[in-house]
Amino acid sequence: MFLDVLFNIDNGYLEGLVRGFKSGILKNQDYINLVQCETLEDLKLHLQTTDYGNFLANEPSPLTVSVIDDKIREKYVLEFQHLRNHAVKPLSKFLDYITYSYMIDNIVLLITGHLHQRSVQELLPKCHPLGMFEQMGAITVADTSASLYNAILIDTPLAPYFIDCISEHDLDELNIEIMRNTLYKAYIEDFYNFCKELGGPTGEVMCELLAFEADRRAFMITINSLGVDLPKDERSKLYPRCGKLYPDGLNQLSKAEEYDQVKMIAESYADYRPLFENVGTNPGDKTIEDKFFEQEVKMNLNAFMRQFGFGVFYSFLKLKEQENRNIIWIAECVAQKHRTRIDNYIPIM
Amino acid sequence: MSSLFRGEEMQLCQIYFKSEVAYSCVSQLGEMGIVQFKDLNENVNAFQRKFVNEVRRCEEIERKLRYIEKEAVKEEVELDEADQTCDAPKPKDMITLEAKIDQLEHDLVEVNTNKDALRKNYLELIELKHILVKATQFFEEADNFSIYNRPETHEYETEDEHVTLLMSERNRSPFAIGFLAGIMNRDKVSSFELMLWRFCRGNVFLKTADLTELVEDVTTNTLQAKTVFIIFFQGEQLKNKCKKICDGFKATIYPCPETLKERREMLNGVSMRLDELKTVLDQSLNLRRSILVNAAQSIKTWFAQVHKMKAIYHTLNMFSHDQKSIIAECWAPKSEINRIREILDLETKKIDMNFQTIVHFITSKEAPPTFNRVDKFTSGFQNIVNAYGVPSYREINPTPFYAITFPFLFGVMFGDAGHGLLMLLAAGYLIKKENYLKKAIKGNEIFELFFGGRYIMFLMAVFSIYAGFLYNDFFSKSTNIFGSKWKVTLGKDFPFEDIQQFTLNPDPYANETYKMYSGTPYPFGIDPVWQLATNKITFTNGLKMKFSVIIGIMQMVFGLVIGLKNHLFFRRKISILFEFIPQIIFISLIFVYLCLMIFIKWIKYAGTDDKLTGACAPNILLELINMFFLKDGTVTVVDGEKKYDECKRLYPGQHHIQMVFVIVAVMCVPVMLFTKPLLKLREHNKRIKYGSRFRGHVNPLSVNGHSSDEDDKHDKAERMGHTSNSVIDLEDDADLENEEHFEFGEVFVEQTIHTIEYFLGCVSHTASYLRLWALSLAHAELSEVLWTMLFKMGLNMAPPVGAFVMFFIFSAWGVITIGILCVMEGLSAFLHALRLHWVEFQSKFYKGEGYEFMPFSFEKILNEAELAE
Repeated sequence: MFLDVLFNIDNGYLEGLVRGFKSGILKNQDYINLVQCETLEDLKLHLQTTDYGNFLANEPSPLTVSVIDDKIREKYVLEFQHLRNHAVKPLSKFLDYITYSYMIDNIVLLITGHLHQRSVQELLPKCHPLGMFEQMGAITVADTSASLYNAILIDTPLAPYFIDCISEHDLDELNIEIMRNTLYKAYIEDFYNFCKELGGPTGEVMCELLAFEADRRAFMITINSLGVDLPKDERSKLYPRCGKLYPDGLNQLSKAEEYDQVKMIAESYADYRPLFENVGTNPGDKTIEDKFFEQEVKMNLNAFMRQFGFGVFYSFLKLKEQENRNIIWIAECVAQKHRTRIDNYIPIM
Repeated sequence: MSSLFRGEEMQLCQIYFKSEVAYSCVSQLGEMGIVQFKDLNENVNAFQRKFVNEVRRCEEIERKLRYIEKEAVKEEVELDEADQTCDAPKPKDMITLEAKIDQLEHDLVEVNTNKDALRKNYLELIELKHILVKATQFFEEADNFSIYNRPETHEYETEDEHVTLLMSERNRSPFAIGFLAGIMNRDKVSSFELMLWRFCRGNVFLKTADLTELVEDVTTNTLQAKTVFIIFFQGEQLKNKCKKICDGFKATIYPCPETLKERREMLNGVSMRLDELKTVLDQSLNLRRSILVNAAQSIKTWFAQVHKMKAIYHTLNMFSHDQKSIIAECWAPKSEINRIREILDLETKKIDMNFQTIVHFITSKEAPPTFNRVDKFTSGFQNIVNAYGVPSYREINPTPFYAITFPFLFGVMFGDAGHGLLMLLAAGYLIKKENYLKKAIKGNEIFELFFGGRYIMFLMAVFSIYAGFLYNDFFSKSTNIFGSKWKVTLGKDFPFEDIQQFTLNPDPYANETYKMYSGTPYPFGIDPVWQLATNKITFTNGLKMKFSVIIGIMQMVFGLVIGLKNHLFFRRKISILFEFIPQIIFISLIFVYLCLMIFIKWIKYAGTDDKLTGACAPNILLELINMFFLKDGTVTVVDGEKKYDECKRLYPGQHHIQMVFVIVAVMCVPVMLFTKPLLKLREHNKRIKYGSRFRGHVNPLSVNGHSSDEDDKHDKAERMGHTSNSVIDLEDDADLENEEHFEFGEVFVEQTIHTIEYFLGCVSHTASYLRLWALSLAHAELSEVLWTMLFKMGLNMAPPVGAFVMFFIFSAWGVITIGILCVMEGLSAFLHALRLHWVEFQSKFYKGEGYEFMPFSFEKILNEAELAE
């Protein structure tokens, strides 16, 4: 049993810390000010008045968007690593679980990059620092998923997720995409079970969040594979089976052939119906991805309403990521003088 | 008027500059540090303000300076101290400064890139050298091994040119055995080995050797533990795989020739090139150093200049801008306004004789900031006051009183001359070395706390010594400086052995045999004879307890008097009549009377009269309780029969006088509770009736919540000293409506709380002052226990052993004395003194609703910048 009373002995300090970090997340007023910026220098000046402080002070001008991106990421990664270094079990394990998703992304990034003849030294800096592991550099040696598994991933915590996608096929784009989704599926399900085992507020909050994540993946996989030559049973294998769509919804999704069918399926779920409404690709309309992001932000903020759980750590990182995306979006719009769509960020309120 | 007693008078001013002169004027004001500018553009974003580009340029210069400074620190160049008096450079000089620093940074970057390239080369060569040395060792080992194993199959071609085992094998076998040699970080070796084995399925052979010394890494420029490795493999495919893996692990592969001869040649070549590189590298390092040494002289001064410039532009950003003029609003102390005008005129005339800078006075509803001029002595006390709440504008500032009462109350609690002496030494050291310490401890928060309070500590120590001599405690021992006034006059025949205790006769007029008290008291403090008495604690308890109450009541009455001074100053007639008067009557009739009773008791029951002994003396506490219940303390009822105990009567007519006192005191409560709110209600109704007739000026003093509006109106013009021709009325209707907001319920509830707080507070605060006694008792007892339990143990031992034991016991005693008795007890006594002042003393008069005057001052800005580094 998870005793709330004892939570603070091990995790009280870190929880306090993460709540403190969270209060530094940019407010709506900040975004309103950021949107008015005319150059990246303005952006920097405004960010100086927020929690970001002097994080760009030592960068020579002219600023570029990628420098801002790196520095923002560096900041929250530092914060996360600080949390991780002070954590004890089971929180440390929980935090490790969070980093696995970055590992998956990094592996896929490296392999795809290698397929396009990029050198490792060029790719490594692009990897997410939270998903770094020692053997990463050698990934490009592997040319089949079997050798990838046998030589590299077997030492990483991702090994159990990989079992489903071992094959002797050469790695090509489709294979990689399938591999990524299979890995994610296994990862989310495992993470879900881990949180469920932890139980208590952690379980309640995290299962909710992960179920949403699983369903989002299922929807996205379906929508993205509509025009692609992917057998239906293959597709259904990629759906994470821990969301609210499981089992009926997933079953139907695997049979869907058109976008409207997907929408029909979402109709029968109260949580997802509103997300598919008012969606369009015209300028000014919100894309389905944005809708999901918005929903995710809302859920992550709700996670902070609960005490004595690990959900806040996960949510903090997700919110920080969203903030990062927002700032970069605005920065890109500012840099490219493309102001019509600058308001398409997702405010964190 | 002394500005410490009451904050200085402040004036809100509007300054009109010509755009051209604003910069230098602000710069001069910054040097003076006596005006606080208001932000007139609060709604404007930081990046939309007027001088945002200049601020940005300053930041860019700062960045470059930081870079140069970092390099200088890396090079361990001594940085010269900043010349903080230098003026902020004029805008046109900014460009030269910018160019100078730009050039410097550019040079430095160039030298650095050059140096880095050379250095990279150099480090790579060192790594190569290591590899060659190690590789030679590998092959020699292999050679020896092969000689040992297969001496007869192996052929040597010539003596001087060794052909290694591998070479020979390679010649024979169809698959060429190749090898890769490289260097990598030691921490990655094991996973590297594992990975190699897995990918090549065990078909490669890895040989590693750890380098004994740390090697500087090429990319990170840090010293790291490294390992040289050689991989042997067969075939091209494996070679490629190995190369990729090496790549992945950031191992650097260097070409390594196969024969010993070639290796030797290469090694020689490498050594030669290393020597050459070293000289070139040294040259470029020297160049770099000379650049940095040059820059180091003025880096800090440049920093100061840029900080000043940035501060000026930030300030200019707070002003409102016209086409040609700039308008600033600021708070300034009235006494300085002439000086400000002079400075501004001077600066303006310097630039153009035709320009004029105008200073206007304006009025505003906003409360002015509180400005108390403090020096290094008073700042400590002012900080304590401000920690509770900054004094409201023009309210009496308790700091001057603190300077004595605070250390005094501390001394009462900490009363031990010995401990006080130790503290005095510590405080004395801090004061003597203050100039040196101020710099040395920068950034050490805990120590800064003590350092900031060094003068408080000094006074506290002085008062502890004073109180210690009063209590006659010196490390818990008594001193007999003036000679005890008591002596035992009984002869040797008296059977002292048979009795446990013996009471000294206090009668100075007794006959020769029984005259034990000389008749004159000990000149200062408690007679040392008490040290021997078994009832010492009972005696000192009674004494200290009474003193605590007397001191406490004195301080509270004093607080009320300060309150009266405040009421008089702000002309709050109602508050004086219906708040101060009932309050002072109440406290006098009950608590000052209590003190009187204490004195009467001391005088009356002196022990000289046989009938009035200490045994029958009335208990003051019971006396007070009886007084409240209107009971006669001399009457005891036994079996329904009243008995009078004359001994218990302090003075004739006591009972009746006490009854009158209590009744009058209780009547003060409703007076204070009801009068003021009702008067306010009446006034409010009147105002509604006559409408706008009462609309007067808005008074900056109205922040004092309890001041009556009517009172406020009168004093405004004189108090603020506004001359009518320079007053610009900024009031608008919204403000007036605000002022007219009046809720009887609210006022009444507030007054009720105030009343209850005061009357109950009098009782509980008096009791609270007993902590003076409690703390001093605890302190005295603790130090006495330490003496008897520890020190006496050693003193009791026989000489040779005792001396050694004493050595250790003394150290233990010393550590505990300083650690617990001085530091811990000192902190606790400090805390209690703080509480007595904040709660018991200040609640009688202090509002503390002001905000501090934060002048725009370069000195402060530079200090902050230095701290931030």
